[in-house]
Amino acid sequence: MNYFAGLDIGSTAIKVALINDEGEIVGVHVTDSGSLFHKNAKEALRVLLERHGVAREQVKYLIATGYGRKLFKEADDSISEITANAIGAHEVGKAFGGVRTIINIGGQDSKAIEIDATGSVSNFAMNDKCAAGTGRFLDVAARNLDLDLEELGDYHFNSKGAPLTINSTCTVFAESEIIGLLANGHGKEEIVAGIHYSIAKRTVRLTKRVGIENRVYFDGGPALNKGLVAAIQDELQRELVVPEHPQTTTAFGAAILARSEFLAEAA
Amino acid sequence: MTTIPIHPAGKPAYNLSRQAREAEIVLDHITDDFDGNPAAMQYFYDLFRRVYIQGEALAHEGKLIGTTCIQAPDELIYAMGGTPVRLCNGSYHYDQIGADFMPAKSCSLVKATLGMLHADNPIPRIGKPDLIVNPTTCDQKKKASAMIEDMGYAVYDLEMPNVKDSEEARLYWQRSVRQFAQKLRQVTGRKLTKKNLKAAMARTSRAQAAFRTLHNFRKASPALMLGKDVFLVTNAFFFDDIERWIAAVEKLNAELAQRQADGYQAAQRRAPRILFTGSPPVFPNLKLPLLIEEAGGVVVADETCSANRMLYDMTAVDEWLLHDMVDGLADKYLKPCTCPIFTRNDDRRRRLLELAASFGVDGVVYQAFAGCQVYEMEQKSVAAALNAKGIAMLYIETDYSPDDHGQLTTRIEAFLESIKTRKRKRA
Repeated sequence: MNYFAGLDIGSTAIKVALINDEGEIVGVHVTDSGSLFHKNAKEALRVLLERHGVAREQVKYLIATGYGRKLFKEADDSISEITANAIGAHEVGKAFGGVRTIINIGGQDSKAIEIDATGSVSNFAMNDKCAAGTGRFLDVAARNLDLDLEELGDYHFNSKGAPLTINSTCTVFAESEIIGLLANGHGKEEIVAGIHYSIAKRTVRLTKRVGIENRVYFDGGPALNKGLVAAIQDELQRELVVPEHPQTTTAFGAAILARSEFLAEAA
Repeated sequence: MTTIPIHPAGKPAYNLSRQAREAEIVLDHITDDFDGNPAAMQYFYDLFRRVYIQGEALAHEGKLIGTTCIQAPDELIYAMGGTPVRLCNGSYHYDQIGADFMPAKSCSLVKATLGMLHADNPIPRIGKPDLIVNPTTCDQKKKASAMIEDMGYAVYDLEMPNVKDSEEARLYWQRSVRQFAQKLRQVTGRKLTKKNLKAAMARTSRAQAAFRTLHNFRKASPALMLGKDVFLVTNAFFFDDIERWIAAVEKLNAELAQRQADGYQAAQRRAPRILFTGSPPVFPNLKLPLLIEEAGGVVVADETCSANRMLYDMTAVDEWLLHDMVDGLADKYLKPCTCPIFTRNDDRRRRLLELAASFGVDGVVYQAFAGCQVYEMEQKSVAAALNAKGIAMLYIETDYSPDDHGQLTTRIEAFLESIKTRKRKRA
C-alpha cells in the first residue's frame, strides 16, 4: 500500500495528514509548533505513521506547506498554504455541495480565498502584517480574561447583555482595552462575545475583498471556537461550512497534491 | 572616568555602516543568488557597490540640482549647465531616521528621503545640492518641502495641478515650468537658450532611446534577463553620469541582442510573467521584485515612477522656438504622467492594460507603501480593470521594513502557483 502525506508547519501548530492510494484520509495529527519547527515536524510525522502502522518508506510523496515549509528539506516538494488550503477545502467541501469561498484564520494571519469550480485559487486576500483578527489575538484575549481557549465558545453563548465593542484593531491595544473593560466591571461573557464580533467584522471585510460566493468554508484552529463561528455567521448573514477537522484542511490539501504529483510522475 | 568615543578611530560611523550593511545584503543577494546575470550588469553592480557600500563621492558638473520626483524636468537643468540628481531614497535605515519628521503611518520613501537629507554624511554621497526641486505632488511630499528647508537646504516648490486633463491645468503647469526655468537661471547664472535646451533634450532622448530598447527586449518570451537587474539600471539613472549610464545600457542592450540571437533563456518557459506597478522600488528596497523572482516569476515590465515611467516618453515639439520648446517639455511631463495624485487616472489603467497585452503578462503585482493613500485608494479600480480582462492582480501593502518577509513570500508564492495552475488548464 502506498501513502501520501501533507505536512502543514504553521506558526502555532504543526498539522499532518496521511492519505492512501485511493485518496482516502487515513489519519491526522496536530501538535504545537514550539520553537524547534523542524524537530517537532519530524516528530509529528513519526507519531502519525506509528499510530497507523505505516513505514516511512511507504509514504511515496510528501509535500510541506505553511510558514515552516522551506525548513523541512525531507519533503519532496513544498507549496504555499493558500494553494494547499484551496485544494483541501475543495475536496472536503464536496460533501457539503461544493464551496467557493474559504475563510482561514491561523495563528498569525487570516485569509480569504476564492476558488473556481475546479478548486483552483482565483483570488485571495490576507491581513497586512498585523495579528489583529487572528488566532494570536484570541490567545492574548483569553489570557487576559484568565480563560482557556476551549472555554471561549461557552462564554460567548452565556453572554446575557449585548456584546461589548472592542474598537482596537491592534492586538496590543485591544489587550489594554480588555483590561479597561474588566476594570469597569463588565462580565467576561460580554467581553468574549465582543472579541468574537471584533474578529468577525475584520474577517468579513477581508472576505468581501475577494468576493463572497455561494457556500463559505471556515477552517483553521479558531474554527473550533463555536462562539467565533456564530459571530462570523451573524456578520456574514449566512451559514458557514465548518469541517470536522478544521485545523487539518491545509495538510489534507497538501497530501492530495502529493498523491496527484506522484501519480503524474509515475505516468 | 573614561569616555567612550562615538565613532571609534578607523571605523566608519555607526550610521554609515548600518546603511552600507543593508545595501550590501541586498546587492550580494542580487548578484550571488541568481544565475545568468548579464555580463554587462557588472557595471551597475560595481557602481552600486562603490556608491552605496564604499561610500564613493559622486562628481557633478555645474550646479547640483536635487529632485524629489520625476516630474522635475531634467532637460532644463542640463540646459543650464547643472546636474540633476534624484533624491528619492530606498533605505530602511534612513526610513527610521525620517520617522522623526513624519507621522508613523506615512510613506517610507518620503521618510527615507528626509532621513537621508538629515544625515551628516548622506549616502549616496552627492554633495550638498545647490537647490532641491520639490514638485507639489502628494500631501507628504508637499509637507516635506518645509522640513527639508529647515534642514538648511534651498528648496523650490514646483507647482503641480491636481487635475491632468483640463486645459487650465495644462496652462498652469506650463507656467510653473517656465517659472522653474527662471529659478534655475538665478541659481546657475546661465541663460536658457534654444541651443542649450535642444542639446539637453537630445541628451535625455538618447537615454530614453537606450531605455526603450531595453524595455522592448523584455517582451521576449522566455525572458532574456530578470527584472531585478532592470530596477538596478533605472535606479542608477537617479545619480549616475548620464553619458556613462547611456553607454552602459547600450552595452547591456547589445548583450541582450546576442542572447536573443542565441535563444538564451533567463527564466523557464512557463515562468509567470509579472507586471509590477504602484509605489516605486528604489534600491536597496527591491524586496518585492526580488521575492517574485526568487519564487520563480519574472518581472517583465513595470509601471512605476522609479523605472518605466521616467524614461518612456519623448518630448514632442511643434516649433523649435524657445517658448514652444518649454511648453512642449511641460506637456511631456504632465500628459503621460500616471501618478495617482491626479483626480482621475484612466491613463494608468489604459497603460497597464496595454503593457499587459504587449508583454504577455500573466499577472500584476501592485505595491502600495503603507501611508501612500493615493496608491492605496486606486488599487480597487485598477484591480477591476485588470480582472475584467482576465488578468489577476495581487495587491500588497508594505513598507521598507524587512519584518513581513515571511508573509509576503507566502502571498507571492500562492499568486504564482494560481497563475501556473490557470496556465496549465488553458494549455
